[in-house]
Amino acid sequence: MMVAAIAWRNIRANKKRSIVTVALISLTTALLVYSSAFMDGSHNKMIQAAVEIYPGYLQITQRDFRDNPSYDNLILDTGALHRLVEKTAGVAAHGARFETFVLYAAREKAVGAMLTGIEPEPEKLLSRLHSSLVKGRYLTKDDTNALYMGVELAKRLKVDVGDTLSFIGNGADYSFAADRVEVVGLFKTGLFDFDGGATFLNKPYFDQMMASTDLATHYVVLPRQPAAVEELAAGLRQQLSRDYRAESWRQTMGGLVEAMEVDSIFGYITLGIIFIVIFFVIMIYTLLTVFSRIREIGILRAIGTTPGQVLAMLLGESMILSLLSVCLGGLIGGALAYYFYLNPMEFPSYEEQFKQYGLAVTSMPCAFEPLTILRDMAIMFLLSLLSGLYPIVKVNRYQPVEAMHHV
Amino acid sequence: MSEFLQVKDISKVFNPEQEFEVAALSGINLAIGRGEFVVISGPSGSGKTTLLNIIGGLDAASGGAVILDGLTLTDLAEKELCLQRRDHIGFVFQAYNLIPVLTARENIEYVMKLQGKSQQDCDARVVEIAEKLGIAQLLNKLPNQLSGGQQQRVAVARAVASKPKLILADEPTANLDSGTAAELMAMMEKLNREERITVIFSSHDPMVIAKARRSIILRDGRVVQNEITP
Repeated sequence: MMVAAIAWRNIRANKKRSIVTVALISLTTALLVYSSAFMDGSHNKMIQAAVEIYPGYLQITQRDFRDNPSYDNLILDTGALHRLVEKTAGVAAHGARFETFVLYAAREKAVGAMLTGIEPEPEKLLSRLHSSLVKGRYLTKDDTNALYMGVELAKRLKVDVGDTLSFIGNGADYSFAADRVEVVGLFKTGLFDFDGGATFLNKPYFDQMMASTDLATHYVVLPRQPAAVEELAAGLRQQLSRDYRAESWRQTMGGLVEAMEVDSIFGYITLGIIFIVIFFVIMIYTLLTVFSRIREIGILRAIGTTPGQVLAMLLGESMILSLLSVCLGGLIGGALAYYFYLNPMEFPSYEEQFKQYGLAVTSMPCAFEPLTILRDMAIMFLLSLLSGLYPIVKVNRYQPVEAMHHV
Repeated sequence: MSEFLQVKDISKVFNPEQEFEVAALSGINLAIGRGEFVVISGPSGSGKTTLLNIIGGLDAASGGAVILDGLTLTDLAEKELCLQRRDHIGFVFQAYNLIPVLTARENIEYVMKLQGKSQQDCDARVVEIAEKLGIAQLLNKLPNQLSGGQQQRVAVARAVASKPKLILADEPTANLDSGTAAELMAMMEKLNREERITVIFSSHDPMVIAKARRSIILRDGRVVQNEITP
């Protein structure tokens, strides 16, 4: 008890030393909390943007479609699939897509592009096609030969809203399919490749041309809770026949997930290097402060305080200061993370670089997850305790008389 | 008088086997009885402080043994030595060495608290000792609010509060004026008499040396005189 009192009194008596220690550790904690929040937030945002623009959180495909995306591996009964997904809990929206590639011709230009039959109403929730409209109008469920086109493709074909163009392609039965369609709307997602190569038709009309009634290449499902997508995929897998597979964005966008993981690894390596430097700064500072008190420690030992009690006293001081510091740092870092969670940072100059990764984002919000903040605070608490351990153990090894006479 | 403290063939070499090797003590043999009031004197560098440190277990001897009340201190590990110091030895240092963040009262009761004594026992003992040493009105002050003489009285109170068997005082009057030094010696004599505590102190001061009932003189790390004052 007396030893604890000395620890507390020392903290109060040596205000400058305590303030410098608290400032050092709390700033480091704030930095860690904020960096983690920014890294997690930017990854979440990138993933969200990449997933929501078009691919969707959960896709059902024929078992072999992803390995061999051909007409031989189509979903053959979208009606049955619709009924099954409809009665599944946790689903916010769902719809079928039939993707194919066609050759468009307008005036003297001919360009190959993706043509997809979509269900316009559910698609409003499944992707950002509707919200990416920049000119004209979006598709309706009654549209016949109305085409919804990316702005970059329109530029390449030199067409605009109201213009007509023709295409040729293969129907689902491998028959020749061709039609003349009118551009009713242009969209811009910000992804150059997508905006320069994607077109959409109302699926009932698309099915007539492509002989694809009740067929689909993908069936896209939006979970009510995006975070619960894995559980929903697992639930659907149990209900689906073995001919189909239900996969979350983690499987369908494996490349993006890997890129995020690599980015996280580099982020943590950078943080690790920063923390090694900070670890030694704290250790050297603790070494200096502990050695400035070596005479006092010698006195304590001389009058009967055991090395264990001295260790407990110094560790107690270190724990009190570390705890105060990580709480303060956690609050500062948490407040910053919360502010930038509500007010994402804008990076307009990085737009082109993000596009190279298939991302149409210019702002990066921080994540605000209390558990992650607590984890970072715990890491800093342990780090600051560990950094103080060596000086404390070293000073405690002195003979009392050596310590008392130490200059 | 029984042999309460035995110092057997103690030697101390600083920087052994190095260029600046110094033999601070050589072949010191002493036998001191319980309740004695002993002064160790000698010129600077004669080894007085080193001998006191080795007797108190603050420093390790290069050879020989220190036996206190039948227990060989020089064989003990650091933790056991700490406990022996806590329970049986009180120290008074030339530079007072009070714990700066504790009040006079807390400094005095510190060792008793380490021994696990109750607050009630500590309070009673602190009041008793403070009255004997005339520091009752200073108990709530921090060391930096006290004069040198007052700090040394608190240091003496700390040394005797836990009723040790032995008090080791290293030049306790060196930083005090002659009046305060005489008062302090009178108090230590009184405590020696009343509490039956063996006191060994080192000093240059002839007034202090004259108070001792046994005088040990060191020169160049050797005992050159060890006699009981008539």
